Amino acid sequence: MSVLIDKNTRLIVQGITGREGTFHAEQMLQYGTQVVAGVTTGKGGQTVLGVPVFDTVKEAIEATNANASILFVPAKHTAAGVYEALDAGLELVITIAEHVPVKDMMGIYHFSKSKNCRVIGPNSFGIISPGKAKAGFMSHKIFSEGNVGVMSRSATNCYETISMMTNNGIGQSTCIGVGGDMIPGSTFLDLLPLFEQDEQTKMIVMIGEIGGNEEELAAEYIKENITKPVIALIAGKNAPKGKSMGHAGAIVSADGTGSAENKEKMLAAAGVHIAENTAGIVEIVKKLL
Amino acid sequence: MKFMEYQAREVFEEYGIPVKKAVVIDSLENIDEQIKGLTFPLVVKAQVQIGGRGKAGGVQFAEDSDSLKAICAKMLHSVLKGHKVNKIMIVEKAEGISEMYLSIILDRLSKRPMIIFSSQGGVDIEETAVTNPEAIIKVPIYPEVGVQKYTVHYLINKSGIDKGLLEPLYDIISKLYKVFLAIDALIVEINPLLVCAENEIIALDGKVDVDDSALYRQPKVLEYRDSIQEEALVLEARKYKFLYIPVEEGGDVAVISNGSGMLMSCIDHITKAGMTVGAVLDLGGGATSDKIKEAVRIMLSNTDIKYLFINIFGGITRCNEVAEGVKIAMELQPKGKCVIVRLEGTNKEMGIEIIKSINYDVVSVDGLVEGVEELYKRRQQ
Repeated sequence: MSVLIDKNTRLIVQGITGREGTFHAEQMLQYGTQVVAGVTTGKGGQTVLGVPVFDTVKEAIEATNANASILFVPAKHTAAGVYEALDAGLELVITIAEHVPVKDMMGIYHFSKSKNCRVIGPNSFGIISPGKAKAGFMSHKIFSEGNVGVMSRSATNCYETISMMTNNGIGQSTCIGVGGDMIPGSTFLDLLPLFEQDEQTKMIVMIGEIGGNEEELAAEYIKENITKPVIALIAGKNAPKGKSMGHAGAIVSADGTGSAENKEKMLAAAGVHIAENTAGIVEIVKKLL
Repeated sequence: MKFMEYQAREVFEEYGIPVKKAVVIDSLENIDEQIKGLTFPLVVKAQVQIGGRGKAGGVQFAEDSDSLKAICAKMLHSVLKGHKVNKIMIVEKAEGISEMYLSIILDRLSKRPMIIFSSQGGVDIEETAVTNPEAIIKVPIYPEVGVQKYTVHYLINKSGIDKGLLEPLYDIISKLYKVFLAIDALIVEINPLLVCAENEIIALDGKVDVDDSALYRQPKVLEYRDSIQEEALVLEARKYKFLYIPVEEGGDVAVISNGSGMLMSCIDHITKAGMTVGAVLDLGGGATSDKIKEAVRIMLSNTDIKYLFINIFGGITRCNEVAEGVKIAMELQPKGKCVIVRLEGTNKEMGIEIIKSINYDVVSVDGLVEGVEELYKRRQQ
């Protein structure tokens, strides 16, 4: 098992002819991922690393029966690329670029929901199911196969946690980079049911941070629906508060939403184990195993 | 990117939102000429981004030309709460009956724009949100639907204001939503939204925050950025596409890392160990030795900083590139500041070898926790 990707995933790399696209397509192939097609407009007919390149996602699907796509394209072209992949009928689209305009993500989020599809990212390292497949740019050496499902808003905090886990002999079922943006394609709330249903996953690690209310929503869901142990970290307790601007921010968070204290309180009330820092996550996982 | 008040006013005016007549000055020459189109009494407002501007003396009233000149002479180039006043907005004084509040924000919960409205606007709106949340009304905008009149009917009935305000309020909300979309805003706020005689409403003060990721397609907004005061090191860092964030004044520890999550974790760890972080710098992904050199230089040029923790978990960023950059930077630096380097990930061993070849002021550690312990030890010496 594992979630979202595995050995059967047939992946398209959008932007495969670019520097990053080619480099990471090769890394993914070496890891064992089935990269079945590349898409770069105007370069249809070429091959990169033995992978056929198409002008459009739709043609790539028709020719290769691909079922997922990852985008290695700049932020300003991300919206167009994601829409193309969703419109072509892919159920999983992963986008890694930083600095995608929030307004673009607002459209993508609602369009993907209406198509019943899943977008992961932006500003994400991608997804890896260790030992099976990876769709992303993470340095896969630190990951190891096992039973802990991980999802993280921050890439670096996730790497830190994963490398400690692996050094302690604790493997992972699937790790998902939710991404650090204001509107992620998929939130913790969207991903929790997948880990709950996955037989390989025995416990869930959630690496969150201050701001937004994804952790609060996750807490409510966990309380009612998740039977597996959940361990959470909220990073940024001592981060500098954004210099107050206007009153809208304060009005929205008048009930405490968004603060580390509020997130931890709600998660704890839902039975989630709260870790002080990345090292703390590993300590708790060890105890629970 | 947060607008100055006069910039917000300018954008509102461009989109037809009613504002009072105003001019912006940055010198005392020809004031009479500049205010020719304005009618006294006037309000003189310092263009600085601080809270409590009024109480700090940044908002004053002028009845005539003499008092205006006296106020401007005193205010221009003065320093309010640490911010230099480079620009002053002179605006006609408005006579109102009541103050309302209106904003459109990007709501992270619904992932849609949201209208926030209150009939009780003004400086105490934040307090109202806590003590009397009923007085604040929030309604989503569905982008495929836009602003419709039924929403404004609802706002009016729910807040109990005069039904005669329907048309002007509908007009203002529609226009504010246009602004929100056109400039890739995260927040557009009017507070107070002044109700005057005969159901006229006017935007008296505005706040606008634009999505930094969208600035590439907002050339006009980018022009505004030049007039916004920022710390010299923030601007210097921006040249290299780094994000420099001042944390706590007087903190003597700085952190450089490759990702905001890791920076937050570092600040959490260091604060918990009883030390104070003065500033942090986010390299983003994939920095080369040349860029690392600049990052180290920028950070150590902050005179408050005595200890620098460089914490890299390299995926796209390569550890040997980081180490090379640190080495070059340290050769150019005056001696005496302590630099602790933690490298993990791609090309870690190569990086550590290079760090160890630097003979002074630089320590290599293995792990984030170890790095913070080393920081603590050094500060005790």
